[in-house]
Amino acid sequence: MKKLKNAEYLISLFLSILASLIIGAFIMLANGRNPVTGYVALINGAFGSKYNIATTFAKTVPLVLTGLATSISFRSGISNIGGEGQLYLGAFGAALIGITFVNLPGIVGIPLALAASLIAGGLYALFPAILKVRYNIDEVIVTIMLNTVAVLLTSYLVNYPFASEIGKMGGTEIIAEGYQLSRLVRLSTLNTSIFYVAVISIIMYYLLERTSIGYEIKMVGQNSNFSRYGGINVKRRMIFAMVVSGALCGIAGAFEVLGVHYRFLQHISPGYAWDGMLIALIVKNNPIGVVLMSIFFGALKTGSISMENATGIPSELISVIQSIIILFIAGESGFKAKIKSFLANRRAIKKAGEKNA
Amino acid sequence: MAEKLIELKEITKQFPGVLANDRVSLDIEKGEIHAIIGENGAGKSTLMKILYGLYQPTSGEIYFKGKPVSIKTPLDAIKLGIGMVHQHFMLVPSFTVAENIVLGVEPRKNRFMMDYRKAVSITEKLSKTYGLKVDPNAKVESLSVGIQQRIEILKVLNKGADIIILDEPTAVLTPQETEELFKVIRKLVEELGKTVIIITHKLQEVLALSDRVSVMRQGRLVGTLKTKDATEQILAEMMVGREVLFEELNRIEVPREEVLTVKGIKARDNRGLMALKGVSFSLYSGEILGIAGVEGNGQSELVEVLTGLRQAEEGSVMIKGIEATNKEPMEIRNLGVSHIPEDRLATGLSKKATITENMILGYHNREPYATKGIHMNKKPIRERVSRLIKEFDVRTPSQDVTADKLSGGNMQKMVIAREFSFDSSILIVAQPTRGVDIGAIEFIHKEIIKKRNEGAAILLVSADLDEIFRLSDRIITIYEGEITGEFKRKEISKKEIGLYMTGKRKGMRQGGVQDEEIKKC
Repeated sequence: MKKLKNAEYLISLFLSILASLIIGAFIMLANGRNPVTGYVALINGAFGSKYNIATTFAKTVPLVLTGLATSISFRSGISNIGGEGQLYLGAFGAALIGITFVNLPGIVGIPLALAASLIAGGLYALFPAILKVRYNIDEVIVTIMLNTVAVLLTSYLVNYPFASEIGKMGGTEIIAEGYQLSRLVRLSTLNTSIFYVAVISIIMYYLLERTSIGYEIKMVGQNSNFSRYGGINVKRRMIFAMVVSGALCGIAGAFEVLGVHYRFLQHISPGYAWDGMLIALIVKNNPIGVVLMSIFFGALKTGSISMENATGIPSELISVIQSIIILFIAGESGFKAKIKSFLANRRAIKKAGEKNA
Repeated sequence: MAEKLIELKEITKQFPGVLANDRVSLDIEKGEIHAIIGENGAGKSTLMKILYGLYQPTSGEIYFKGKPVSIKTPLDAIKLGIGMVHQHFMLVPSFTVAENIVLGVEPRKNRFMMDYRKAVSITEKLSKTYGLKVDPNAKVESLSVGIQQRIEILKVLNKGADIIILDEPTAVLTPQETEELFKVIRKLVEELGKTVIIITHKLQEVLALSDRVSVMRQGRLVGTLKTKDATEQILAEMMVGREVLFEELNRIEVPREEVLTVKGIKARDNRGLMALKGVSFSLYSGEILGIAGVEGNGQSELVEVLTGLRQAEEGSVMIKGIEATNKEPMEIRNLGVSHIPEDRLATGLSKKATITENMILGYHNREPYATKGIHMNKKPIRERVSRLIKEFDVRTPSQDVTADKLSGGNMQKMVIAREFSFDSSILIVAQPTRGVDIGAIEFIHKEIIKKRNEGAAILLVSADLDEIFRLSDRIITIYEGEITGEFKRKEISKKEIGLYMTGKRKGMRQGGVQDEEIKKC
């Protein structure tokens, strides 16, 4: 029965994606482009060569982390909308370690930088979590506003106290070599962070799906009255989920610094946390789903740029497609109920008709 | 044979996923009291809501005085002279009685102003005609439930109803108020020529009041019979579809020991009003202590204080000699307290979680279900749950369906299975059989008695007086947050306890003084 439900959901998801791609095709047609060439260019751009595949996976890395971060917080019923801010602080924390302790070997430095980002992100999420459980202050509003605080604060830091000496570029110095994660494919930014992400994904899957902590988080999110009545420490679980969520976003920021840019930049994230949130919403906070959907989103991002280069179709089309998927998924249960009630109605009328006849 | 006033023909109503009415044909005769009985979810209310125009049937026809009619809205129903008193009253609490009665058909001075004086005179006239005493100027919020119901009936009569549908009218009434209501109904029918349809699931009331009775089960009409041909046994069997035995529950005497001591508890409700004004009592092992009271007199708050879900402002709770006032629910559970909450959907379970997830709560971090309290082991969990499902007869296609797929009775059995499976010495049981079908009630009652016979101390809170009397060894009454009496079950009648439940009598009465009524018990 649970399997049936999952299968039903997968079908809905597949249909939603298909429908949004078809709508995307109509938009291309309406603009006088050929959707077939468009989509071929998209797929080629995402998976056409070793470099393209590598770029797709490079784009997947931050999405998996922010997607998992959203999943754990949404599962516990406390909404972390502050991923972007936590990501910025995490990234800055990692960069700060990377430019301060320049003589450390990578084997010590990288874990240290990651720890710094984890703590920065986690603490930044702890604050709204405490406000929520202690004083019932809405965490959505607090975390949204803290995003702006973090982005502007780091922006100030890298333009003044920590500005790079080579001109005003809105970034820190390059981190020491020991901190730089190795690139895996020439020219692409794909780096060893993908292995860390793989491990983190497995840990998160285990935590959410196989442990009593994950179970408690899920119960708290579904019905906090029930959880409290059943003896779960609801507040502690909410805080835990929020802090882990913040830490994951912090790590996402760290990998952008250690693996991609090798420094902190004031616009380091083009909205990874928001994309991660979309991904978690689409797959209903399922960790495996987050990984797969992140790859799909990564492919769309990578492919869309090639598509724009090859066919002139603007890459923004991809945002339209992503949004339409969300719309369909949001309406999923509604559509399903309508279809089911329609079928049941027809059956009832048929049955009544037989009786009369 | 009396005139057929209303004929329902082959009414079918399909809701998403539920066939609420399946080809129901029923006729109502002029001047009769027609009872419609059935278990929860049998489709009684749906059928009546179709007649009242709140729902549209998927198929089927309604005839009124032999002519087919279409009832699209309650206004259509009112035009035909059909009125309905809902289970949950639809009154404006801050308005006066007169204002409520004329609501929707207000007499006006001019376009904008209501003629209040006329509203009062309308109310007085109605009150006199039908012999239903009310004070037109009283605010509804200050009136008892019984009076509020009277206002609902007057409201319907004011709209010119000849056929009055009453949906579970006695659910919230004390025995005295019920008797009063029955007198009113008889008067309406016998002296004033009205027709009354009453929906209920209380068999004794049906037998006492109605002329004819229609029994529904799972959306279908099982049959209609004359009340004088019916007995409680026949009706129960028609409702459930099999034989039901109301056997006397078997009690064995076990040693008693004080396990729960409550002293001077004061607590506020969700609105910040004092709901408990100094409640004290003791609970002993091997007994069932029933708390009788009209709903909303502090029972819910008391249970919440005892289980750690609500803070007490004053007073103390001792569990087996250990101070347990205002402790967290987890700590109280660890002292050996299980809790069947009154609202299973809000507190007792998670609708979106599977049955397995719902039933393992409390064990989810204990060996062998979780290694070191962390790693959950599927196999022992599934085995435990499947054993409990079998033991407590939870009817479900599998343990992986979500809880919202279960019927009310099976949800409740699931909650009870989980709570009773903890080896608790104290069970706090609130409304254990609310919205549960007869078969399940019987099962749940037996499980509660079984626990008592095994030596558990059980605190039973129920709005159903029959249930209190069937199960309890000792009964305390609660009224407006205070304990008004304490009795041995055999020493008091339902009727007399009604006086304590409504605060008309107070004070502990010891075995010495006994009324006539008590001797009858």
